[in-house]
Amino acid sequence: MSNESQPTPSAMSEAVVAGDAELARRLARQALEQGMPPLQAIEEGFVVGIRRAGQLWEEGDYFLPELVTSAEAMQAAMAVLRPALQRGAGGSVGRVVIGTVQGDIHDIGKTLVATLLSANGFEVSDEGSDVPVERFVERARELQADLVCASALLTTTMAAQRDLVQALARAGLSARVLVGGAPVTRAWAEQIGAAGHADSAVAAVEVARSLISGVQP
Amino acid sequence: MTRDLLQRLERGVVLLDGGLGTELIAMGLAQGQAPEWWVLERPEQVQQVHRAYAEAGSDVIHACTFGATPLKLHSAGLPGRCEEVNRRAVELARAAAGDALVAGDIGPTGVMFPPMGEATVEQLAASYEEQVGHLVRAGVDLLSIETMFDLREARVAVQAAARSGLPLLACMTFEARKRGVFTIMGDALVPSLRSLHAAGATAVGLNCSVDSSHMIPMLREAAAQLRCPLVAQPNAGQPQIGAAGVTYDATPEPFAADLMQMVRDGARVIGGCCGSTPEFIRVARRALDEG
Repeated sequence: MSNESQPTPSAMSEAVVAGDAELARRLARQALEQGMPPLQAIEEGFVVGIRRAGQLWEEGDYFLPELVTSAEAMQAAMAVLRPALQRGAGGSVGRVVIGTVQGDIHDIGKTLVATLLSANGFEVSDEGSDVPVERFVERARELQADLVCASALLTTTMAAQRDLVQALARAGLSARVLVGGAPVTRAWAEQIGAAGHADSAVAAVEVARSLISGVQP
Repeated sequence: MTRDLLQRLERGVVLLDGGLGTELIAMGLAQGQAPEWWVLERPEQVQQVHRAYAEAGSDVIHACTFGATPLKLHSAGLPGRCEEVNRRAVELARAAAGDALVAGDIGPTGVMFPPMGEATVEQLAASYEEQVGHLVRAGVDLLSIETMFDLREARVAVQAAARSGLPLLACMTFEARKRGVFTIMGDALVPSLRSLHAAGATAVGLNCSVDSSHMIPMLREAAAQLRCPLVAQPNAGQPQIGAAGVTYDATPEPFAADLMQMVRDGARVIGGCCGSTPEFIRVARRALDEG
């Protein structure tokens, strides 16, 4: 058997960078069969790949179709690994509703945050993109969410993050709001009364953890 | 004045209008609400913007139909209103346009091809054909496709619009990346514009995404390789977030100077996109007339 079909972290990463969902799924299965802890496969393998894809996008080598197929490969691997993760890790760290705000179809950063939160033990409900404020509120209520994460990639849609903070307060829900997206700054988060903001997917996990535990990062 | 874009192009540079959506937002259109709502609910506001552009010296007024394909109207909460929105939007533009031509504005459907979405060519073609039919029956003088970011979708739109026989502007939105100028989907500038011209567009070019200074080298690159008339509609600077909402940081004089540079470099149709106001067009008109 050639080395590239072995479930090594670099093979996992490569499968995601190449956007090969079939290979990513197979490597994830093989990793579990060979006794690799699912969190290790995610953190050392697949997440490295999706970060690399994000980097290639930022550097101008990847375009939206490549980025989307990489995210699909990541999700294919996560679909295999997530059940094993939950069996091994015990209860959920916290319940999260996540989505990109209405009018905004940008999905990549949000999907990456959802994936990393899920990989880190959060129970995540990903509502997708173009999510109306009412939908966020409704899902936060249904799931008794601890956190609502709202992404906005356009300056024309980020006002919806402010609407969300206000709507959750009006609905009397205690879920705290974490905002992100290219134009979103700490000043904006403070201005609209969001509990936190993150400028990368990795930072989002840290901020989410600290918001749940009440400890400042 | 002739109602024929081609004759006006033969005589010189054609000046379009500026931002419509950003002007309506400044008048109170809610964030996230489609401007087409105001065609139905606040027509006097839409008409006020059209009139201001006509008075500022625009040769062409875009009707408020950028999001008026059946697919886009559906996601904007206006399902089944395609005929009504397009007809009334053209009436509003016509009543305000004076001697200016009225363009039926056509934007992306918001439904994407795989792997981003599940659109099919047939689905998008049917959506564009329906809007084009309503615009033609409403009496537009030309059609203007804008802000396309996927060449596949842009070609479907151009083919549907070109069958009307009306003059047709077709613009895509590009950004400078490491390896050149591309759309977000990776469609390269010159091959994309060449493809849209071959598919039936009278004039092709760029709009949105970048400010006027960043559009200059892109337009120059296109002009060096393409023979068809070129269109340039930059944003009025970069969007800034403040307490008052989103504003754009350009001022009319440098913007007009950049447009004039693009005219010298080969642009035949110029105008403004997001954030540009009637004042930007007034200054550009003066610069054009002074040659």
